[in-house]
Amino acid sequence: MTKPATTPRQQPMGGGTLLLWFGGAAAAFLLLFLLITIILRQLPDPIGLRADLFVEGARMTLMLTLVSGVIGLILGVVAGIQKTSALWWVRLPASIFIWLVRGTPLLVQILFVYNAVPPLLKSIGIDLELNEFWSAVVALSLNVGAYNAEVIRAGILAIPPGQGEAARSLGLNGAQTMSTVVLPQALRIVVPPLVNNLVALLKDSSLASSIALLELTLAGSRVSSESFEPIPVLTTIAAVYLALTTVMTLFTDQLEKRVKVGSR
Amino acid sequence: MKRPLQTALLTLTALALLASTGQARTWADIKKSGTIKIATEGAFPPFNVLKGKELTGFEVELANELAKSLGLKVQWVTQPFDNLLIGLKSDRYDFVIASHGITPERARAVDFANPHYCTGGAIVTKPGGPMTAAALSGKSVAVQVGTTYLENVRKVSGVKDVKTFPKDTDAQAALMAGRADAWVGDKFTGIELVKAQKGKVVQGALLFNERIGMAVNKGNASLLKELNAALTKSLSDGSYAKLSGKYFGQDVRCKS
Repeated sequence: MTKPATTPRQQPMGGGTLLLWFGGAAAAFLLLFLLITIILRQLPDPIGLRADLFVEGARMTLMLTLVSGVIGLILGVVAGIQKTSALWWVRLPASIFIWLVRGTPLLVQILFVYNAVPPLLKSIGIDLELNEFWSAVVALSLNVGAYNAEVIRAGILAIPPGQGEAARSLGLNGAQTMSTVVLPQALRIVVPPLVNNLVALLKDSSLASSIALLELTLAGSRVSSESFEPIPVLTTIAAVYLALTTVMTLFTDQLEKRVKVGSR
Repeated sequence: MKRPLQTALLTLTALALLASTGQARTWADIKKSGTIKIATEGAFPPFNVLKGKELTGFEVELANELAKSLGLKVQWVTQPFDNLLIGLKSDRYDFVIASHGITPERARAVDFANPHYCTGGAIVTKPGGPMTAAALSGKSVAVQVGTTYLENVRKVSGVKDVKTFPKDTDAQAALMAGRADAWVGDKFTGIELVKAQKGKVVQGALLFNERIGMAVNKGNASLLKELNAALTKSLSDGSYAKLSGKYFGQDVRCKS
């Protein structure tokens, strides 16, 4: 499917290849879950009997990562561009957001969204109570969004100012310069650190176990507290996390290769 | 397919062997050192609870008395509940007193002393909520992870959702916040909660009865014998009755 990187002129990723990439990733994860189920069922007690609990937990972990990852990416792009603005009132909200989120622990943020936000909203007349999943998604996507914002800002700053000046002198306005000249180049630079954030997000989602969301870590701690056998359980959890991140990076590596093409 | 599986199994076995090299302190070792290490949770009022920095509660005072009658100083350790027996198995402390219901699964992993009180798992809910096991059908129930309440709620048919929290107090908070329709926990803790919340919650039926015991590491017979002897003495000389009256206004020892 992919040609070796030495081919001098590859087209950057088009809609078709992107679709193929998504399809491939989805298929790979389905296959991975099938494989995990088969392997875990073979293992001796206490893992084998409860294999389905681990798989269910792993599925929840992946769901959390994907949903929060997408929202976090959008948040990051918006806040990242805001931070490079020349206008202080555009920069300020993004700066405050990043300051708050990056300066407090994720565990506190998750507990805050779950336990403190509903009563706060109630006191101003909004009766909204997020369930465990969406509480975790809100906290995780805000968190990864703040880190993504800094990555994207760095990417934008890495584009030589001459590029922007040239675009402006050709008659493009600010928005056009950003969307057609600066961002396409910046996005290539930021793919590896964004992937890094995504992998970190997958592992950080384990903190959602504190609000009774049955993801991989809580599934494991249920099993270990029933069987009193922490070694096989923790080893299994670690192995499943590793499998998830491995498959994920397999595909993000492809993505990196493809977006690199245009800059060579 | 065969190979990686075998490797994984081998690795697990090797790790398990590495981990099981610890040795529980026997009664002679403890007696010689003069200090006994006791673990509890510290988040289970009125049995074991941290009030600020001070660890107190019925079980804490009882264990202090037992240690005193054995002529030992006490060093307390607090741990998350689901970690307590795991820590005991790796000999981080000599025994655990943390309202562990005696179950066959647990008895396979550790050795239990004679029960030091009898209780039950009770439903607590908001007024108008489910009060019986049958009424739990279609409802969501909050419980603490690694407890007998979790096991027993699972046995109730038709429960929509069992939410497991790291601490009992978190599970109660979920009930208070309306995130669960009921909380299942110890009946005495439930009574305390009802008292503390002044009518915002009510206690329903008992789901099951259980006997509560202290746990020592598997095979530590010498320590178990001393603990049982001290407990028997306390039950007969009136000190247990005094302590039980102070906390519950009744004698909570097992009747049969």
